[in-house]
Amino acid sequence: MPFKNRLFAAAAAMLLGGSLAGAISAPARAETVLNRGIGATISTLDPQVNFLATDGFILDDIYEGLIDYDANGQIVPGAAEKWDVSDDGLTYTFHLRDGLKWSNGEPLLAQDFANGIVRTIDPATASDKAYIFTTTVAVVGAADFNAGTNKDPASVGATAPDAKTLMIKLDKPAPYALLLMSSFYAPPLHKPSLDKFGKDFIKPENIVSNGAYKMIENVPQSHVTLVKDPNYWDAASVKIDKVVYKVTEDDNTAVKLWRAGELDLTIDIPSEQIDKLKAEFGDQVHVSSSTESVYESFNLKKPPFDNPKLREALSLAIDRDALINKVLKGGYSVNCSYTIPIVDYDAPKLPDCAMPKADRVAKAKQLFAEAGFGPDKPLTLAIESTNSDSPKKMAETIAVMWKQTLGVDAKVHAQDRDSWLAVFSAGTWDVFNDDLVGDFAGPESYLSYMDPRAAAGYNWPSPAYEAAIDKALAMSDQAGRYKMLAEAEKILLDSYLTAPVAAGPNRHLVRSSVKGWGDNPPDWHSSRLMSIGAQ
Amino acid sequence: MFAYAVRRTIGSVPTLFALTAITFIMMRIAPGGPFSGNRRITQDALANIERAYHLDEPLWLQFARYMWGVLHFDFGPSMTYRDYTVSELIRAGFPTSLEVGMWAMLLATLTGIALGIAGALRRNQPVDYIAGALAMTGLAIPIFVIGPVLQLFFGLQLGWLPLTDWPGDLAHKIMPVVTLALPNIAYVSRLMRGSMIETVRTNYVRTARAKGIGEWRTIVRHAFKGAILPVVAYLGPATAVTITGSIVVEQIFQIPGIGRYFVTGANNRDYPLMLGVTLFYGAIVIFANLLTDLARGLLDPKVSYE
Repeated sequence: MPFKNRLFAAAAAMLLGGSLAGAISAPARAETVLNRGIGATISTLDPQVNFLATDGFILDDIYEGLIDYDANGQIVPGAAEKWDVSDDGLTYTFHLRDGLKWSNGEPLLAQDFANGIVRTIDPATASDKAYIFTTTVAVVGAADFNAGTNKDPASVGATAPDAKTLMIKLDKPAPYALLLMSSFYAPPLHKPSLDKFGKDFIKPENIVSNGAYKMIENVPQSHVTLVKDPNYWDAASVKIDKVVYKVTEDDNTAVKLWRAGELDLTIDIPSEQIDKLKAEFGDQVHVSSSTESVYESFNLKKPPFDNPKLREALSLAIDRDALINKVLKGGYSVNCSYTIPIVDYDAPKLPDCAMPKADRVAKAKQLFAEAGFGPDKPLTLAIESTNSDSPKKMAETIAVMWKQTLGVDAKVHAQDRDSWLAVFSAGTWDVFNDDLVGDFAGPESYLSYMDPRAAAGYNWPSPAYEAAIDKALAMSDQAGRYKMLAEAEKILLDSYLTAPVAAGPNRHLVRSSVKGWGDNPPDWHSSRLMSIGAQ
Repeated sequence: MFAYAVRRTIGSVPTLFALTAITFIMMRIAPGGPFSGNRRITQDALANIERAYHLDEPLWLQFARYMWGVLHFDFGPSMTYRDYTVSELIRAGFPTSLEVGMWAMLLATLTGIALGIAGALRRNQPVDYIAGALAMTGLAIPIFVIGPVLQLFFGLQLGWLPLTDWPGDLAHKIMPVVTLALPNIAYVSRLMRGSMIETVRTNYVRTARAKGIGEWRTIVRHAFKGAILPVVAYLGPATAVTITGSIVVEQIFQIPGIGRYFVTGANNRDYPLMLGVTLFYGAIVIFANLLTDLARGLLDPKVSYE
């Protein structure tokens, strides 16, 4: 029976071939895989365009900036092994490591970093973060280049005198500039692949990157797969072979996936589940302070909110302890400063928070009356809030507190984020349930945002504040600068332009087998710092 | 019948145009814009982005530009998912939504019809009550409750089914398909029951019975064809809705379909994405309705398209 024999032979050959192939390709040790929840769908993985923190996790794995962050969010050398800052604080010189390579094996040059900065501010790139190099760290010529008034990229003060040296010249001192030289803001650009593929240069089949990992797969709405890049300078210390970022739009589903072992890390934890998960999983539940400052803003252009006494009364009438620790929970912490808690920075605090409740309420009532309001002249106002759970709950609770303490008739307008921002720009609001996420964990990020000249839309004229900020930013020594910044913040707090309420949370489920995780406010968590051990 | 189909297809062009125009206007009335979310951005940087996406042009020109693109099957770039064009997103996600949706509709149609017939023929008997109770449960409990409950029970508690990880084997599809099918099973079974009860009382069914061809054949050969008509009328639009994805099922089971774009497109003021999926959905509804009408022509001797 020739047919049967042929079939048998074919089956035998397949079996043999299969086992041989298996024997050859069998890895020396099991491949380690880290499954990370990424939250909502990726917006863009274009390193010079992306502005989302979540996409930043992926980009941080596939690109390396001049500096890196360790697990605790502290600066460590990245592609640059050292750097010098000129005495006037206007010139940063970065010295790259020896033998840096792109993922395709080509040498990585200082010019590639300069190209990255130039592309970020190039009007044609249409990047959200161009402002980082035009205002936050004002690179020479960057603003003109971004505005299109000077079209010569050579006019931008990011240059490479040689293959291993990058010079960044600034218009004015930015002592925090180093914090912004990480992969999130200053990744290098592989120009040949951009020239060849255009916008598609970041597709997995085309991408050339310089980080610890390279991207091999990107399925919209589903997942992004990265594998260890042998061309990375420190590949020897990268422990995890493969990282899969899974889109987890629903946080409750993400928790279930983590429970089922399909995720090792989650991007967030729903507030109402924290206590329960803590009881069940203990220190695998990580809740810490983020760089988000949460506050109520008052519209100075709209009477009666131009009256500082009224603003102070409203601030005093917020029982922050009850609001945060009894109602909101979810990892928020009471914050009585405009800035979030920052190491070495001694932030001034609103006096409201330290007052005993009875005194606080009495003073609120007294100032409210002095501002001309009371039972026969009640105040009516609206709080503009987004419709996300926590902000909405916060606004509603504050409305109740104002009603109970001062008899204020406060309504909450909960709306989607775009409408909320549109109301702010229109200037028609009374009280804005506001927040700010710092670009970096330094007081400069927060306080320069409130600088009246930054035209953030608060209509708060304050030459004293401007002078204090200018004086602070000219100081390169951190201790002196922080002291000056604290003086500026005191001016801001005393004005009651805002009523600071809380610092936002970072919330993650981290499987106990994942080692090398550290909580830090800016929420940097490079996969290359992690390893997978025993549960 | 072919001429009728062609006539209907041509007739749908003004409908789709009106749909696009209305969606375009409504999106622009909504406050905010696709790039207004970053409050620290400088005016120059914002102007650059708006120029890149032609948002600085007058509205009529933007609309004309969009329509010109649509005529060339180019739905423009997504403003939220900036690495992709709207066409790429639909092309990547639609096969998945279609797959889940078709399985769900198949399950819903077969189960619903079977339950409906059983209920009609055994009226006010235990079978009818059980079918009715199931249907009411399916209608009353929203899928954002059913989905997570199924996940908790069959995924986490019993460990029988995987929670997500699309695409996977058959086991990965069971929970999303069942979740999506349940409300449709309920609806189809109620429609089928009511219609069957009415049909078995009609003259032509009585005639068939009188001829003595037996109860089973009367139901299958005669009554079924008449009773199925309302179900067919329902299935057309219902299928269009189901195969274009459900944001709830897609989010709960992490399915990379296109259902979420209807919500994220609107929330993020992603004008091209919102317009693209609306137009796509409109075309599918029109096509599904056409198929429904053609099917009625085949099933119902009173309807003719000649």
